[in-house]
Amino acid sequence: MKVTVKRWHAIAQWQWDIGRTDEHGDAEEDVCGICRVPFEGCCPTCKVPGDDCPLIWGECSHVFHMHCLLKWIGTVASKQQCPMDRRPWVTAERKVTTNGS
Amino acid sequence: MSTVYTRRLSKELAEIQTETKPPIGIRLLKADDFETWIFEIEVLGDSLYRGERFGLKFRFDNSYPFSAPAVQFVVDSGMKAPVHPHVYTNGHICASILGDDWSPTLSVMAVCITIQSMLASCKRKELPEGNDTYVRTAPDNPKKTHFVYDDDTSPFPSNRV
Repeated sequence: MKVTVKRWHAIAQWQWDIGRTDEHGDAEEDVCGICRVPFEGCCPTCKVPGDDCPLIWGECSHVFHMHCLLKWIGTVASKQQCPMDRRPWVTAERKVTTNGS
Repeated sequence: MSTVYTRRLSKELAEIQTETKPPIGIRLLKADDFETWIFEIEVLGDSLYRGERFGLKFRFDNSYPFSAPAVQFVVDSGMKAPVHPHVYTNGHICASILGDDWSPTLSVMAVCITIQSMLASCKRKELPEGNDTYVRTAPDNPKKTHFVYDDDTSPFPSNRV
């Protein structure tokens, strides 16, 4: 069976709040430094983006797909360091903003 | 079949081939599969390697990018490794980013640029200490060598048994 999409009607869109303003948050920049897939996509081992493939923030302010970062931290070679700045990885508490949903 | 590491490598290859051309002096010679890629490295401007061209070979497996690729200079009938205090005559390179300091946010091009600048900043063309001994006993894959990054000038490799 072949399905042809003739038209579609978007009712919402979402993206991760990675705490960057539009000024700095150029869409092209927003890729996971480990797998190079956009944050809005999922890590290479997942099939569907969304809550099942979340992002993780370090206290150093670097962001990755959680699965990518955990895979790296799970290797001996990582020495439990952030892949960007080699500081010890400490997962940051996410500030819950009140002006979002 | 597409796997995690081939997806990441296809992105890198697309960037190298189309979007952002490699820096001057770095040229892709071969990337027919996701196992072995070869680049040509040349140091332009004032350097001890003026006019010389080298082949830099990358070997990948499915641990990339969580583990570094195996990187070495091509040594065959037509190509030689550069004479450099961190490069053995079998092409193996002692560079911390290829071992202990590897990070999955690095890339093939980042490695090429690092190696190019390692050559560009070289002050004296000399072989690493213990070159002959190392070359005689070295494993085929340089990742199996446990390099000790002693300081900037004299690496002392030893083979982990």
